[in-house]
Amino acid sequence: MSERGAERFPIEKMRVNRHRWIFWSSMAGLLITLSALLATLLFLVWQATPIIRQSGAGFVFGRLWYYPEQMFGALAMIYGTAVVSLVALTLAVPVALGTAVLSAEYLDAGARLVVKSAVELLAGVPSVVYGLIGVLFLREWVYRGLAPFDPISGDSLFTAGLLLAVMILPTITTLCDDALRAVPASQRAAARSLGLTRAESVLHVALPQAAPGLLAAILLGLGRALGETVAVFLVVGRQDNQLPDKLFSWDALISPGQTLTSKLGGPETHLAYGDPLHWAAMAGLAVLLLVMTALCLAAAKGIEKLTKSRAARVAGQS
Amino acid sequence: MQFHRFCLLTFSAAFGLTFPLPAQDSLRVSGSTTLNPVVSEAVEVLRNEKGLRITIDTAGGSTGGINALGDGRADVAMSSRSIQERDRDKFPSVKYHSVPIGQDAVSLVVSADVWNGGVKNLSGSQIRDLYEGRLKNWKEVGGPDRRVVFLNREPGRGEWEVFTKFLYPDRNKPPMTSHPMVGSNEETRNKTGGTRGAITFLSTPWADGKKVFALGLELPDGNVVEANGANIASGQYPMSRPLFVITDGEPAGAAATLIDYLLAEPGQQLVSKHGYLRLDEVQ
Amino acid sequence: MTGSRKFIRWLLPTLGLVSALVVAVVVIFIVTVLLQRGTSSVSIHFLTTDTRGAGSEGGIFYQILGTCILIGSALAVAVPPALAISLVRSVFLQPHTRLGKALDLILHLLNGIPAIVFGILGLLIFSKLFGWGKSWLAGGILLGVMILPTLTVALIERLAAVPRAYIEAATGLGLTRGQIILAIWLPQSSGGLITGSLLGLARAAGETAPILFVTAVFSGATVPTGIVDNPLLALPYHIFVLAQDSFHEGARANLWGAALVLVTLITVLNLAALPLRFRLHEESRHA
Repeated sequence: MSERGAERFPIEKMRVNRHRWIFWSSMAGLLITLSALLATLLFLVWQATPIIRQSGAGFVFGRLWYYPEQMFGALAMIYGTAVVSLVALTLAVPVALGTAVLSAEYLDAGARLVVKSAVELLAGVPSVVYGLIGVLFLREWVYRGLAPFDPISGDSLFTAGLLLAVMILPTITTLCDDALRAVPASQRAAARSLGLTRAESVLHVALPQAAPGLLAAILLGLGRALGETVAVFLVVGRQDNQLPDKLFSWDALISPGQTLTSKLGGPETHLAYGDPLHWAAMAGLAVLLLVMTALCLAAAKGIEKLTKSRAARVAGQS
Repeated sequence: MQFHRFCLLTFSAAFGLTFPLPAQDSLRVSGSTTLNPVVSEAVEVLRNEKGLRITIDTAGGSTGGINALGDGRADVAMSSRSIQERDRDKFPSVKYHSVPIGQDAVSLVVSADVWNGGVKNLSGSQIRDLYEGRLKNWKEVGGPDRRVVFLNREPGRGEWEVFTKFLYPDRNKPPMTSHPMVGSNEETRNKTGGTRGAITFLSTPWADGKKVFALGLELPDGNVVEANGANIASGQYPMSRPLFVITDGEPAGAAATLIDYLLAEPGQQLVSKHGYLRLDEVQ
Repeated sequence: MTGSRKFIRWLLPTLGLVSALVVAVVVIFIVTVLLQRGTSSVSIHFLTTDTRGAGSEGGIFYQILGTCILIGSALAVAVPPALAISLVRSVFLQPHTRLGKALDLILHLLNGIPAIVFGILGLLIFSKLFGWGKSWLAGGILLGVMILPTLTVALIERLAAVPRAYIEAATGLGLTRGQIILAIWLPQSSGGLITGSLLGLARAAGETAPILFVTAVFSGATVPTGIVDNPLLALPYHIFVLAQDSFHEGARANLWGAALVLVTLITVLNLAALPLRFRLHEESRHA
């Protein structure tokens, strides 16, 4: 409206034209950034094509990786990544959920601040310091703690999973806390007025309603666990081709292994630099990792959208 | 109005810093963690005394350094193994100029429980069985009743090249094995010392006799040769290797200064200080 | 009340308390270890001397400088696109369009890309494609892209939280959209920019994987004088190498000192963002 008015008044017209650059530069900035990112990702996929052409699905499902003989099978590393992440989730989710329930449902604002600060502190510790603690402390403890089971060394998929659990704990705790606090107080009040104890209102009202948010929190924690490199690299043992015959193998759990990230962060990336097939294989691993992470994150975002639409429907009905 | 000015300023500040200044070349050194202590100290001296700009990196070990030299990402490679055919095949246009600055050996080392359990030396065939996973318990070689944990070195490491060359002199590529990996000399020593029943191979001066213990080598004729200075110098201990500083073509400029320093008395003293053999000690 | 109800009434908070205690123990352990082993080596001398003896003596001056250069250039790289994208999302696009939601998803995915993938991409683009060797700018750009979502989301939230009343008043006064952006939207969301920047800087300071291949060397780099073949020393990389490579016991103390300095830097940056974050969080809940 003011634009049309501007045409009649020269001063206004000058002012409108002078500020159009904001719109155009913003759009340009957006487009340049997005296309640069897209081009980069496509370039990565293109770099990985030689190995796909060579091995096809054998790259993903091949059991053996031995670069001097040009054998590039990533399955053992996918298994390692999956096991490490699963261990991390199994250990972190109960603790995170418990802390979030305590913080969101039972504590007053002051105590909640203390808990939140502690969790924030954990979140701020960089992964390399976690790796350091893992190498100098955790390895020894796991080696001694698992002595009855006679592990090979303190480096294992389990050790990496344990370390990772501590690292993803803050993410999951904060998001679970947010999800629980997003459940309206009126819901809990209604439950209490019906005679439910606080615990029951949490179990039967708050938790179920927060469930999608909790699930999203877990998925985001999983996404983080999949991508962690430095800490895992230092304590996972870096043993290739540790793929057991059964899916659930205790032996593989307490033995050294290899994950996608520990392979990518290791020396082979430097060694692969000049060798086209080896380099394509490493790029392929990066693409695999990217796909796995993106799936988790997209799923989490999808749940978030589902929750919002469900909440909108519920609000519309009441 | 303040906003886009603020952004413009920040943006240009970071980038504007670089353009007016002329790019100054620094010498890029890359490679083996075995040579790193020696070369690092030499570089410190040169930096302080002559103001040379030299950067050092050890990612990728000896092979990583040679690759970087071949790619043009490094000017000087530090290597604890010699240039092989496959390096020449990979980078055919590079004229490798290797300068030995000292001598070192690779020892088989074991953890304390294995050493104290009676294993003091091994033969070549026993080592091969251990590496290929046929020997699974230490009692099979006169040691304690304990599972063998063979810690392998990362494939780029000079020690790995020397070790596999010793075990498989006629083969181009050693057989595929599956062992946990360790990287640098220090990580190797730490992890081996902390694992029961562990064996690995390590640059000899790093076997401190506290965390890890160096084994003697039983030669085919039955003699046992220890990895001490005399045996390494005379060549009796088979797993010895010169320590190289490598350039593409004749070294010039800062590279030449560095190499000259390493070959001269102060540099050779550094070699000795870190436990390796000086050039004049090698026969 | 039945026994089982009483049991549950007791069990839930107890489990919650146990979980919180686990968290507390972990936090206390990490802080104690860092302080115990790090404080003995941190001093003014430590912070202002360069490293000697391959990490076993001297200080971490150039590592700190390198980290500062990295996070500074990361911020410089991230701010312009963050402004552009947040303006498009919050001002130029209608709130519930598909394009807006797609943008949200893209930012969400970008935020979750593993750091090592950034490192590989950096190796691919800056080293292989551009031939920059090891360059400080490559690291700055990679870290800038990594923290872009943090800044952008903070800005988007703040822009969206500007009260409609202000905008309506401004439109009523005859201001154009561009004028409103410059006079109201951006100044009102400066808090978001600052918060996002501080959080982004904190995150960038601790990252190792992106700088592993294209920026960091272990020794020899001081101040960059160009773009190509001008690496940096950095605290995270220093700690990473020493964690595997410490040549003797002296290096151990240096290592913990560096770790303490890094964690302190990150904590300070995060703490600086906290007051703004609480204010924003509370405001957005009441809006």
